[in-house]
Amino acid sequence: MDERVKKALVDIVGEKNFNDKLIDMVSYSYDASEYTHRPMCAVWAESTEQVSKVLKLANEEKIPVIPRGGGTGLTGLAVPINGGIVLDLNHMNAIVKISIEDRLAVLQPGVIYDDLARALDPHGFFFPPDPASSQVCTLGGNVATNAGGVKGAKYGTTRDYVLGLQLVLPDGRIMRTGSQCIKSVSGYDLTKLFVGSEGTLGVITEITLKINPKTTASTTAMAAFDDLGDAGRAVSETMHSGVLPAVLEILGKEALIAINRNTDLNLPEVDAILLVETDGYTQEETDYQVKKVLEVFKRNNAREIKQAKTEKEAADLWKARKSAYAVLARLNTHQVLEDVTVPMSRIADALIGIKEISEKYDIMIATYGHAGDGNLHPQFVYDGYDPDVAERKKAAGAALFKLAIDLGGTLTGEHGIGLQKAAFMGLEHDDVSMNVMRGIKRLLDPNNILNPGKMALDEG
Amino acid sequence: MRGDMEAKYDFDRKFRRQVLQCSRCGFCQSVCPVFGFSLRPAYNARGKMLLLKEVMDGTIDLNDELIETLFQCTTCGACEENCPSGVNVPDIIKQARKDMVNIGSCHPAFKGMHEVLENHSDIYAEDDLPDFGRERNRKAPYVFFIGCVGAYREEEATESILDLLDYLKVDYTLIDEVCCSGVLGDVGYSINDRLAEKNVERILATGAHTLITGCPYCARTFHGKPEYQKLKDSGVKILHVSQFLKDFDFGVTTSRKVTYHDPCDLGRHCGIYEEPRETIAKIAPDFVEMRHNREKALCCGAGGGVRGAYAANSIAMARRRLQEAEEIGAEVLLTECNSCVHNLANAKLRKQKVKILTTAQFIQELLEEEDKI
Amino acid sequence: MPEDLYYEENHLWVRDEGDLLLVGMDDFGQKMAGDIVYVQLPDEGKKLKMGKKFAKVESGKWLGKVFAPVNGELVEVNEELETNPGLINEDCYGEGWMYKVKADDKAELEQLIKGPEAIEKWVLAEIEKYAQE
Repeated sequence: MDERVKKALVDIVGEKNFNDKLIDMVSYSYDASEYTHRPMCAVWAESTEQVSKVLKLANEEKIPVIPRGGGTGLTGLAVPINGGIVLDLNHMNAIVKISIEDRLAVLQPGVIYDDLARALDPHGFFFPPDPASSQVCTLGGNVATNAGGVKGAKYGTTRDYVLGLQLVLPDGRIMRTGSQCIKSVSGYDLTKLFVGSEGTLGVITEITLKINPKTTASTTAMAAFDDLGDAGRAVSETMHSGVLPAVLEILGKEALIAINRNTDLNLPEVDAILLVETDGYTQEETDYQVKKVLEVFKRNNAREIKQAKTEKEAADLWKARKSAYAVLARLNTHQVLEDVTVPMSRIADALIGIKEISEKYDIMIATYGHAGDGNLHPQFVYDGYDPDVAERKKAAGAALFKLAIDLGGTLTGEHGIGLQKAAFMGLEHDDVSMNVMRGIKRLLDPNNILNPGKMALDEG
Repeated sequence: MRGDMEAKYDFDRKFRRQVLQCSRCGFCQSVCPVFGFSLRPAYNARGKMLLLKEVMDGTIDLNDELIETLFQCTTCGACEENCPSGVNVPDIIKQARKDMVNIGSCHPAFKGMHEVLENHSDIYAEDDLPDFGRERNRKAPYVFFIGCVGAYREEEATESILDLLDYLKVDYTLIDEVCCSGVLGDVGYSINDRLAEKNVERILATGAHTLITGCPYCARTFHGKPEYQKLKDSGVKILHVSQFLKDFDFGVTTSRKVTYHDPCDLGRHCGIYEEPRETIAKIAPDFVEMRHNREKALCCGAGGGVRGAYAANSIAMARRRLQEAEEIGAEVLLTECNSCVHNLANAKLRKQKVKILTTAQFIQELLEEEDKI
Repeated sequence: MPEDLYYEENHLWVRDEGDLLLVGMDDFGQKMAGDIVYVQLPDEGKKLKMGKKFAKVESGKWLGKVFAPVNGELVEVNEELETNPGLINEDCYGEGWMYKVKADDKAELEQLIKGPEAIEKWVLAEIEKYAQE
């Protein structure tokens, strides 16, 4: 590494916050995806000023900078695919302010989701978009990927809650977007541009989030469906139930079989199980909501309906859904979790289509996910060391994306594009919109130093 | 690809599948004590597995640069407990350490520890076992094994257990004990046969039917290591003191708010969570759990050799655990491991008023307050 | 080893500051100990008995006892050492000072090692002692 640049970085962040040791470079080569590439070095930033100076330097020297939080991204958006400097933001982990009267929380990007939840809890508030990785994911990453969670159908995603951001642009300029107000239409909505931009347009250094009062009652129920089509229709027809459940999750047959093999939950090995949870402020209210949803389920041939009568029973119903990822991950050496999303009326078709792909390419795909907003999680489980299997997985993945797009869906509901789906951007976005995206990227990052190589922004 | 390469190291031969099973989810970050204080991904279980994967693939090789992370793990097992993919990280790390030692790459503290135990009878090389005014090596139904930390660093805690055993009129004897040397197996070496033999011989010579120890690490070693199999073969029951004391009523209580810290070696590694709580329930009606307890207990930072090799970091980890005690307003923190007591006590700041004791110490204090002992 | 200080044979130095005595660990001691990780800081007001242990110090591998150089009372401790015990290694005669003591009778200081000749003799003997171990 250029000694001059190293010295300049050390001058900005201090010696103890600069790192180019082997063991750290290995860690920083990876996130939670299957991609890897060595960075040149890493720095821990402790302030917005330091982030600004690092970017200014990198921009002048044309060195890539890759922002990193918890490193739990599934699509490779924290992998330094072109080398460069990993900008580790975990030391900027302060909750700056919680204002219940203003219904907001201001925090730094390194705050872990669960830590925020714990800070809000005593006030009776919460931040609804709750990714499954909440114990380790950081809010900076959540904002950069517009993270979702199980409550998306009723409560929306991260984007719906970001009131404002402080960012550092690729050339080092610091700027603020949005407002401390619950609503504002003053100027272009730059906040929404940066949310979900996967660290390619700016480094987030402060986040202002809208928060919600917690509900105090909930009702949980589970229903089994012998036929995939019935389950899919049950999901879409929930829109006719007159209520919006807080949670509507689906577990497909392969997932159920795997769960049964690894736990003693003894779930019915049917085509699909739906888990529904309604929330509110009185038990009567949430029970009523569940009743309406279960009527829809019954109309679609649901059987074995179980409604939890105690908190423990509810937790037991949730265990199945929560264990899905883990039991599947233990089955083989490689697993890839996708998050294709389709309009809710097409869920049944999506489930059937995924099953066909699995059979056609002879590769295990277990599906579960947030049926309530059409966001499915097909999990590929396979032996990636077998080149033949790896080829088939690749083909099956491409077929999956084509299926989703053909059904009017999108490549990704919440994980982002990163490296994993970059090649398929053209399937979903027309040339004009890709050009506009690339134009915006060029405008803010003319030297293409901020997280280059992602989201197909480099091509064209 | 890797399939055809001959495995170069034992950790690869024994644990290849598990290392590969790590799906890089990073969930271990939320429970790892070393990552918790440092925020450095290289220290985390995921970081360690990524390194080992690259070693298995031949991208990098085991070398001195890896010492800083491979030998900085308390082997607390929280990562394994929290791992969706079921990776047994502590076992993999312990084997990788052996591979490192085999190629001559080891943290000097552990190399030193190994050498000390080659030539001395305890890990501190003090060779001057205190007898606490009690008899040694006589014939008795119970043997009490103190352990190095209890003998040389936490004498007051040991004194308390012995006082309690006397108060309960237990017929026990001490022995000329030497280091169980269990720690060596965890830091890249193996149990010292010479020392193990001495312990076995001296324990059996007492004719005792039960061995009680205050040290969870020793208990685990006696239970699980083949070098001590002869004890079980001879019908000796091995108990940690918390398993023994739970059957007694002491007739004292406290009104103070008490919490319990599950030592990793007693909790996650031995599955003993309830016995200590049974005893505490009898003496402390105002008992509160810390945020992370039982299988999810947060490691104090002393284990796996870390206190010997990275003492300052060990103390930093202990500070995080004490924060959890502060969070719940605990006035007394009880635990069942002398190493935990030692590390937590060192980490406690002057402004923190929580008392850190073993359960036996606390009971003895309460008895003393009421002039019963 | 500064010649204007008194030395206690377990490698403590003592500086007479008039009302109070300033106490710390000498250079020989801190080098022998290695990186200090813990310094026990007892409560102010603790009574000290000359020659009796009143605190302990730990490095990674070593536990050391701190013996009272005179009879008296512990009046103040260096709280910086709580979070930065390494100060003893960095600046044992300055920022790494450990305790302030009010002596019952300052004349007791004369029982400690003092003056360039006595210091040199003592240090040489210590070097030999440790070389043998």
